[in-house]
Amino acid sequence: MATPLGAAADTMEPSIELNLRPRVCTLADNDATCNTTVRAQWRSKKNESLCLVIVDQPQIRHCWEEHNEGLYSVEVSFSQDLVVQLRDTELDRVLASQAIAVIRKALQFRRKRRQPWSIFF
Amino acid sequence: MHTKLRTLALLLVLASGLPLHAAAQAKCTAVSPDCVIVGEWDLNVGLGVGVRTNPVAGRSDIPLYVVPQISYYGKRFFLDNLEPGFTLYEGNAHTVNLVAAPGYDRVFFTRGDPQNILVSAPWSAPGVGGFNGRDEEASAQELPHHRRRTTYLAGPEWLFSYGRFAGQLSALYEVTGRHHGYEVRGAISTPLIRTEHSLIANAGFTWKSAETASYYYGVKGFYRPNAALNPFIKVAYSRPLSERWMLNAFVHYEYLSDEIADSPIVSDPSVVTAFVGLNFKVF
Repeated sequence: MATPLGAAADTMEPSIELNLRPRVCTLADNDATCNTTVRAQWRSKKNESLCLVIVDQPQIRHCWEEHNEGLYSVEVSFSQDLVVQLRDTELDRVLASQAIAVIRKALQFRRKRRQPWSIFF
Repeated sequence: MHTKLRTLALLLVLASGLPLHAAAQAKCTAVSPDCVIVGEWDLNVGLGVGVRTNPVAGRSDIPLYVVPQISYYGKRFFLDNLEPGFTLYEGNAHTVNLVAAPGYDRVFFTRGDPQNILVSAPWSAPGVGGFNGRDEEASAQELPHHRRRTTYLAGPEWLFSYGRFAGQLSALYEVTGRHHGYEVRGAISTPLIRTEHSLIANAGFTWKSAETASYYYGVKGFYRPNAALNPFIKVAYSRPLSERWMLNAFVHYEYLSDEIADSPIVSDPSVVTAFVGLNFKVF
Protein backbone atom coordinates (compact mmCIF):
# COMPACT_ATOMS: atom_id res chain seq x y z
CA MET A 1 0.00 0.00 0.00
CA ALA A 2 1.27 3.44 -0.82
CA THR A 3 1.94 5.98 1.89
CA PRO A 4 0.12 9.14 0.96
CA LEU A 5 2.12 12.25 1.54
CA GLY A 6 1.70 15.95 0.94
CA ALA A 7 -1.64 16.96 -0.41
CA ALA A 8 -2.70 13.37 -0.77
CA ALA A 9 -2.35 12.95 2.97
CA ASP A 10 -5.09 15.48 3.56
CA THR A 11 -7.69 12.83 2.87
CA MET A 12 -8.05 9.60 4.77
CA GLU A 13 -8.03 7.47 1.63
CA PRO A 14 -4.86 7.44 -0.40
CA SER A 15 -5.50 9.03 -3.74
CA ILE A 16 -2.63 7.23 -5.42
CA GLU A 17 -1.77 3.61 -4.80
CA LEU A 18 1.80 2.48 -5.54
CA ASN A 19 2.89 -1.15 -5.54
CA LEU A 20 6.40 -2.49 -6.02
CA ARG A 21 7.77 -5.87 -6.95
CA PRO A 22 9.84 -7.32 -5.39
CA ARG A 23 8.98 -6.26 -1.86
CA VAL A 24 12.30 -7.36 -0.42
CA CYS A 25 15.72 -8.32 -1.73
CA THR A 26 17.71 -10.93 0.23
CA LEU A 27 21.47 -10.74 -0.04
CA ALA A 28 23.48 -13.90 0.39
CA ASP A 29 26.81 -13.87 2.20
CA ASN A 30 28.89 -13.07 -0.87
CA ASP A 31 26.48 -10.60 -2.46
CA ALA A 32 27.19 -6.89 -2.09
CA THR A 33 24.27 -5.52 -4.08
CA CYS A 34 20.83 -6.45 -5.26
CA ASN A 35 20.63 -6.45 -9.03
CA THR A 36 17.04 -6.86 -9.98
CA THR A 37 14.23 -5.58 -12.13
CA VAL A 38 11.96 -3.33 -10.13
CA ARG A 39 8.36 -3.30 -11.29
CA ALA A 40 6.38 -0.29 -10.14
CA GLN A 41 2.63 -0.01 -10.70
CA TRP A 42 0.46 2.88 -9.64
CA ARG A 43 -3.23 3.64 -9.81
CA SER A 44 -5.27 6.75 -9.04
CA LYS A 45 -8.96 7.60 -8.94
CA LYS A 46 -8.39 10.60 -11.15
CA ASN A 47 -5.98 11.51 -13.89
CA GLU A 48 -2.58 12.69 -12.71
CA SER A 49 0.56 14.12 -14.19
CA LEU A 50 3.42 12.72 -12.20
CA CYS A 51 6.89 11.22 -12.32
CA LEU A 52 8.37 8.09 -10.79
CA VAL A 53 11.79 8.60 -9.24
CA ILE A 54 14.09 6.52 -7.09
CA VAL A 55 15.95 8.07 -4.19
CA ASP A 56 19.72 8.13 -4.77
CA GLN A 57 19.21 6.96 -8.36
CA PRO A 58 18.85 10.29 -10.22
CA GLN A 59 19.32 8.66 -13.60
CA ILE A 60 15.95 6.93 -13.22
CA ARG A 61 12.89 9.01 -13.93
CA HIS A 62 9.72 8.15 -15.79
CA CYS A 63 6.78 10.54 -16.19
CA TRP A 64 3.12 10.27 -17.22
CA GLU A 65 0.78 13.07 -18.40
CA GLU A 66 -2.86 12.87 -17.38
CA HIS A 67 -3.01 9.15 -16.59
CA ASN A 68 -4.87 7.35 -13.84
CA GLU A 69 -2.53 4.36 -13.84
CA GLY A 70 0.94 3.42 -14.93
CA LEU A 71 3.45 0.58 -15.02
CA TYR A 72 7.20 0.92 -15.21
CA SER A 73 9.97 -1.68 -15.00
CA VAL A 74 13.62 -0.84 -14.63
CA GLU A 75 16.85 -2.65 -13.82
CA VAL A 76 18.26 -1.32 -10.59
CA SER A 77 21.35 -2.09 -8.55
CA PHE A 78 21.20 -1.19 -4.87
CA SER A 79 22.72 -2.19 -1.56
CA GLN A 80 20.41 -0.36 0.86
CA ASP A 81 16.64 -0.06 1.07
CA LEU A 82 15.39 1.29 -2.27
CA VAL A 83 12.85 4.09 -2.00
CA VAL A 84 10.57 4.61 -5.00
CA GLN A 85 8.49 7.78 -5.12
CA LEU A 86 5.77 9.30 -7.25
CA ARG A 87 6.19 13.07 -7.41
CA ASP A 88 4.49 15.87 -9.23
CA THR A 89 6.04 16.87 -12.53
CA GLU A 90 8.08 19.62 -10.87
CA LEU A 91 9.38 16.96 -8.46
CA ASP A 92 8.46 19.15 -5.52
CA ARG A 93 5.76 17.09 -3.85
CA VAL A 94 5.86 13.42 -2.97
CA LEU A 95 2.52 11.88 -3.92
CA ALA A 96 3.28 8.32 -2.89
CA SER A 97 6.27 6.38 -1.65
CA GLN A 98 7.21 2.76 -1.23
CA ALA A 99 10.46 0.95 -0.39
CA ILE A 100 12.08 -2.35 -1.24
CA ALA A 101 13.83 -3.64 1.86
CA VAL A 102 17.32 -5.12 1.64
CA ILE A 103 17.73 -8.07 3.97
CA ARG A 104 21.15 -9.50 4.57
CA LYS A 105 20.90 -13.20 5.14
CA ALA A 106 22.22 -13.94 8.61
CA LEU A 107 24.53 -16.84 7.90
CA GLN A 108 25.77 -18.96 10.74
CA PHE A 109 29.03 -20.80 10.56
CA ARG A 110 30.45 -23.64 12.57
CA ARG A 111 33.63 -25.64 12.67
CA LYS A 112 33.90 -28.68 10.47
CA ARG A 113 35.21 -31.99 11.75
CA ARG A 114 38.39 -33.50 10.44
CA GLN A 115 38.46 -37.19 9.67
CA PRO A 116 42.11 -38.12 9.26
CA TRP A 117 41.23 -41.83 9.40
CA SER A 118 39.00 -41.60 6.44
CA ILE A 119 39.95 -41.80 2.78
CA PHE A 120 37.96 -38.63 2.33
CA PHE A 121 40.18 -35.58 2.45
CA MET B 1 49.99 -56.34 24.57
CA HIS B 2 50.89 -54.56 27.80
CA THR B 3 53.31 -52.35 25.90
CA LYS B 4 50.51 -51.42 23.53
CA LEU B 5 48.17 -50.58 26.37
CA ARG B 6 50.84 -48.44 27.98
CA THR B 7 51.38 -46.65 24.68
CA LEU B 8 47.66 -46.11 24.29
CA ALA B 9 47.39 -44.82 27.84
CA LEU B 10 50.29 -42.43 27.19
CA LEU B 11 48.66 -41.14 24.02
CA LEU B 12 45.38 -40.62 25.80
CA VAL B 13 47.07 -38.80 28.66
CA LEU B 14 48.95 -36.58 26.21
CA ALA B 15 45.78 -35.88 24.26
CA SER B 16 43.76 -35.13 27.36
CA GLY B 17 46.48 -32.97 28.88
CA LEU B 18 46.88 -30.63 25.95
CA PRO B 19 43.43 -29.09 26.01
CA LEU B 20 43.77 -28.05 29.63
CA HIS B 21 45.49 -25.01 28.19
CA ALA B 22 43.54 -25.02 24.99
CA ALA B 23 43.54 -21.74 23.16
CA ALA B 24 40.36 -20.59 21.57
CA GLN B 25 40.44 -20.68 17.80
CA ALA B 26 39.13 -17.80 15.78
CA LYS B 27 35.38 -17.98 15.54
CA CYS B 28 34.07 -19.19 12.20
CA THR B 29 32.89 -16.16 10.25
CA ALA B 30 33.24 -17.32 6.66
CA VAL B 31 33.49 -20.47 4.60
CA SER B 32 36.97 -22.01 4.84
CA PRO B 33 38.46 -25.50 4.87
CA ASP B 34 37.67 -25.56 8.61
CA CYS B 35 34.33 -23.74 8.62
CA VAL B 36 30.98 -24.46 6.98
CA ILE B 37 27.65 -22.68 6.71
CA VAL B 38 25.08 -24.00 9.14
CA GLY B 39 22.10 -25.54 7.41
CA GLU B 40 23.55 -25.98 3.93
CA TRP B 41 24.51 -29.12 2.08
CA ASP B 42 28.00 -29.36 0.68
CA LEU B 43 28.86 -31.75 -2.15
CA ASN B 44 32.34 -32.09 -3.59
CA VAL B 45 33.69 -34.63 -6.03
CA GLY B 46 37.36 -35.46 -6.22
CA LEU B 47 38.49 -36.83 -9.57
CA GLY B 48 41.99 -38.19 -9.83
CA VAL B 49 44.25 -41.14 -9.36
CA GLY B 50 45.05 -42.90 -6.15
CA VAL B 51 45.37 -46.20 -4.41
CA ARG B 52 44.94 -47.78 -1.04
CA THR B 53 47.21 -50.77 -0.49
CA ASN B 54 45.54 -53.89 0.84
CA PRO B 55 47.33 -55.64 3.68
CA VAL B 56 45.17 -58.76 3.41
CA ALA B 57 46.94 -61.63 1.67
CA GLY B 58 45.66 -62.33 -1.82
CA ARG B 59 43.64 -59.14 -2.09
CA SER B 60 44.42 -56.48 -4.64
CA ASP B 61 45.01 -52.88 -3.80
CA ILE B 62 41.98 -50.59 -3.93
CA PRO B 63 42.04 -47.98 -6.70
CA LEU B 64 40.74 -44.50 -6.02
CA TYR B 65 39.36 -42.52 -8.93
CA VAL B 66 36.34 -40.69 -7.63
CA VAL B 67 36.25 -39.42 -4.07
CA PRO B 68 32.91 -37.78 -3.32
CA GLN B 69 32.37 -35.83 -0.14
CA ILE B 70 28.99 -34.83 1.13
CA SER B 71 28.29 -33.03 4.33
CA TYR B 72 25.55 -31.18 6.12
CA TYR B 73 26.01 -29.28 9.33
CA GLY B 74 22.90 -28.14 11.13
CA LYS B 75 22.96 -26.34 14.41
CA ARG B 76 23.25 -29.68 16.22
CA PHE B 77 22.83 -32.51 13.74
CA PHE B 78 25.48 -33.18 11.11
CA LEU B 79 26.30 -35.69 8.42
CA ASP B 80 29.93 -35.92 7.38
CA ASN B 81 30.22 -38.41 4.53
CA LEU B 82 29.26 -41.71 6.16
CA GLU B 83 29.32 -40.33 9.68
CA PRO B 84 26.17 -38.83 11.21
CA GLY B 85 26.40 -37.09 14.53
CA PHE B 86 24.86 -34.78 17.07
CA THR B 87 26.67 -31.90 18.76
CA LEU B 88 26.19 -31.78 22.52
CA TYR B 89 28.46 -28.80 23.12
CA GLU B 90 30.32 -26.40 20.85
CA GLY B 91 32.68 -23.71 22.09
CA ASN B 92 35.61 -21.93 20.52
CA ALA B 93 38.14 -24.45 21.77
CA HIS B 94 36.13 -27.55 22.55
CA THR B 95 33.35 -29.47 20.86
CA VAL B 96 31.66 -32.61 22.11
CA ASN B 97 29.69 -34.73 19.67
CA LEU B 98 27.94 -38.06 19.63
CA VAL B 99 28.92 -39.76 16.38
CA ALA B 100 28.37 -42.95 14.45
CA ALA B 101 31.11 -44.14 12.12
CA PRO B 102 31.58 -47.23 9.96
CA GLY B 103 34.21 -49.81 10.76
CA TYR B 104 36.91 -49.04 8.22
CA ASP B 105 38.59 -52.44 8.07
CA ARG B 106 35.83 -54.01 6.00
CA VAL B 107 37.12 -52.15 2.94
CA PHE B 108 39.96 -54.67 2.75
CA PHE B 109 37.62 -57.64 2.51
CA THR B 110 34.56 -56.68 0.51
CA ARG B 111 34.39 -54.64 -2.62
CA GLY B 112 30.74 -53.92 -1.92
CA ASP B 113 31.51 -51.93 1.19
CA PRO B 114 30.04 -48.42 0.88
CA GLN B 115 33.46 -46.92 1.39
CA ASN B 116 34.74 -48.80 -1.66
CA ILE B 117 31.68 -48.20 -3.81
CA LEU B 118 32.14 -44.49 -3.27
CA VAL B 119 35.75 -44.33 -4.31
CA SER B 120 36.43 -47.13 -6.77
CA ALA B 121 35.60 -46.75 -10.40
CA PRO B 122 32.64 -48.98 -11.21
CA TRP B 123 34.21 -49.75 -14.57
CA SER B 124 37.33 -51.27 -12.98
CA ALA B 125 38.12 -54.48 -14.81
CA PRO B 126 38.72 -57.63 -12.83
CA GLY B 127 42.38 -57.88 -11.97
CA VAL B 128 42.98 -54.21 -12.58
CA GLY B 129 41.98 -53.17 -9.10
CA GLY B 130 39.67 -53.99 -6.27
CA PHE B 131 39.49 -57.63 -5.40
CA ASN B 132 40.48 -59.45 -8.57
CA GLY B 133 36.85 -59.47 -9.48
CA ARG B 134 35.70 -61.48 -6.53
CA ASP B 135 34.31 -60.75 -3.14
CA GLU B 136 35.42 -62.26 0.08
CA GLU B 137 32.36 -64.46 0.16
CA ALA B 138 32.97 -65.86 -3.28
CA SER B 139 36.66 -66.52 -2.92
CA ALA B 140 38.10 -69.86 -2.05
CA GLN B 141 40.53 -69.79 0.81
CA GLU B 142 42.45 -72.48 2.54
CA LEU B 143 41.96 -70.92 5.95
CA PRO B 144 38.50 -70.92 7.48
CA HIS B 145 36.95 -67.52 7.06
CA HIS B 146 33.87 -65.68 8.14
CA ARG B 147 31.88 -62.94 6.59
CA ARG B 148 32.76 -59.40 7.66
CA ARG B 149 29.57 -57.41 7.53
CA THR B 150 29.08 -53.67 7.54
CA THR B 151 29.43 -52.42 11.08
CA TYR B 152 28.80 -49.08 12.70
CA LEU B 153 30.39 -47.82 15.84
CA ALA B 154 28.97 -45.04 17.97
CA GLY B 155 30.12 -42.99 20.90
CA PRO B 156 31.34 -39.63 22.11
CA GLU B 157 33.82 -37.53 20.19
CA TRP B 158 35.84 -34.66 21.58
CA LEU B 159 37.37 -32.03 19.30
CA PHE B 160 39.75 -29.46 20.68
CA SER B 161 42.18 -26.81 19.54
CA TYR B 162 45.47 -25.77 21.02
CA GLY B 163 47.17 -22.92 19.23
CA ARG B 164 48.01 -24.16 15.75
CA PHE B 165 47.00 -27.70 16.66
CA ALA B 166 43.59 -29.30 16.34
CA GLY B 167 42.85 -32.64 17.90
CA GLN B 168 40.11 -35.17 18.22
CA LEU B 169 39.49 -38.19 20.34
CA SER B 170 36.58 -40.59 20.05
CA ALA B 171 35.62 -43.71 21.98
CA LEU B 172 33.33 -45.90 19.91
CA TYR B 173 31.36 -49.07 20.58
CA GLU B 174 30.12 -51.37 17.83
CA VAL B 175 26.36 -50.99 17.82
CA THR B 176 25.33 -53.15 14.86
CA GLY B 177 25.67 -56.36 16.87
CA ARG B 178 28.44 -58.03 14.88
CA HIS B 179 31.34 -58.16 17.30
CA HIS B 180 30.52 -55.78 20.21
CA GLY B 181 34.04 -54.42 20.12
CA TYR B 182 35.46 -50.99 20.84
CA GLU B 183 37.62 -48.53 18.98
CA VAL B 184 39.40 -45.47 20.26
CA ARG B 185 40.46 -43.02 17.57
CA GLY B 186 42.72 -40.09 18.26
CA ALA B 187 44.48 -37.61 16.01
CA ILE B 188 46.17 -34.26 16.05
CA SER B 189 46.74 -32.00 13.07
CA THR B 190 48.54 -28.78 12.31
CA PRO B 191 48.96 -26.65 9.21
CA LEU B 192 52.52 -26.60 7.89
CA ILE B 193 51.74 -24.12 5.12
CA ARG B 194 48.72 -21.88 4.99
CA THR B 195 48.99 -19.49 2.07
CA GLU B 196 47.20 -20.10 -1.21
CA HIS B 197 48.85 -23.49 -0.73
CA SER B 198 47.65 -25.52 2.21
CA LEU B 199 49.71 -28.33 3.67
CA ILE B 200 48.33 -30.05 6.76
CA ALA B 201 50.07 -32.75 8.77
CA ASN B 202 48.09 -35.25 10.83
CA ALA B 203 49.24 -37.92 13.24
CA GLY B 204 47.10 -40.26 15.23
CA PHE B 205 46.18 -43.76 16.19
CA THR B 206 43.36 -46.25 16.19
CA TRP B 207 43.06 -48.65 19.06
CA LYS B 208 40.92 -51.71 18.39
CA SER B 209 39.73 -53.97 21.15
CA ALA B 210 40.36 -57.71 20.87
CA GLU B 211 36.77 -58.21 19.67
CA THR B 212 37.20 -55.68 16.88
CA ALA B 213 40.61 -56.97 15.81
CA SER B 214 39.39 -60.58 15.89
CA TYR B 215 36.30 -59.85 13.81
CA TYR B 216 38.45 -58.62 10.93
CA TYR B 217 41.80 -60.34 11.33
CA GLY B 218 41.08 -63.42 13.40
CA VAL B 219 40.95 -66.92 11.93
CA LYS B 220 38.67 -69.31 13.74
CA GLY B 221 40.68 -72.05 15.42
CA PHE B 222 43.98 -70.61 14.20
CA TYR B 223 44.48 -67.07 15.35
CA ARG B 224 42.81 -64.68 17.73
CA PRO B 225 44.47 -61.27 18.04
CA ASN B 226 44.44 -59.21 21.18
CA ALA B 227 43.75 -55.49 21.22
CA ALA B 228 45.69 -53.62 18.55
CA LEU B 229 47.09 -50.12 18.33
CA ASN B 230 47.71 -48.72 14.84
CA PRO B 231 49.50 -45.37 14.57
CA PHE B 232 49.25 -43.31 11.39
CA ILE B 233 50.48 -40.14 9.76
CA LYS B 234 48.82 -38.21 6.96
CA VAL B 235 49.92 -35.21 4.93
CA ALA B 236 47.33 -33.40 2.83
CA TYR B 237 47.95 -30.67 0.27
CA SER B 238 45.36 -28.45 -1.37
CA ARG B 239 45.36 -25.36 -3.53
CA PRO B 240 42.26 -23.57 -4.82
CA LEU B 241 42.33 -23.10 -8.59
CA SER B 242 39.02 -21.28 -8.95
CA GLU B 243 35.80 -20.80 -7.06
CA ARG B 244 34.80 -24.42 -7.67
CA TRP B 245 38.00 -26.27 -8.51
CA MET B 246 40.73 -27.24 -6.10
CA LEU B 247 43.89 -29.26 -6.47
CA ASN B 248 44.10 -31.93 -3.78
CA ALA B 249 46.64 -34.56 -2.82
CA PHE B 250 47.27 -36.62 0.26
CA VAL B 251 49.35 -39.50 1.54
CA HIS B 252 48.25 -41.56 4.51
CA TYR B 253 50.48 -44.17 6.10
CA GLU B 254 49.14 -46.52 8.76
CA TYR B 255 51.34 -48.99 10.57
CA LEU B 256 49.49 -52.11 11.67
CA SER B 257 49.96 -53.43 15.16
CA ASP B 258 51.76 -56.77 15.48
CA GLU B 259 48.46 -58.23 16.69
CA ILE B 260 47.05 -57.57 13.24
CA ALA B 261 50.24 -57.95 11.20
CA ASP B 262 50.85 -61.41 12.70
CA SER B 263 47.49 -62.68 11.47
CA PRO B 264 47.90 -65.44 8.86
CA ILE B 265 45.55 -63.56 6.55
CA VAL B 266 47.69 -60.39 6.63
CA SER B 267 50.71 -60.12 4.36
CA ASP B 268 51.68 -56.48 4.78
CA PRO B 269 52.16 -54.66 8.10
CA SER B 270 51.16 -51.27 6.72
CA VAL B 271 48.50 -49.53 4.65
CA VAL B 272 49.36 -46.66 2.36
CA THR B 273 46.65 -44.50 0.84
CA ALA B 274 47.62 -41.86 -1.70
CA PHE B 275 45.52 -39.69 -3.98
CA VAL B 276 46.11 -36.74 -6.27
CA GLY B 277 43.37 -35.07 -8.23
CA LEU B 278 41.04 -32.17 -8.73
CA ASN B 279 38.17 -31.45 -6.42
CA PHE B 280 34.99 -29.97 -7.89
CA LYS B 281 32.51 -28.21 -5.65
CA VAL B 282 29.07 -29.16 -6.95
CA PHE B 283 27.20 -27.03 -4.38
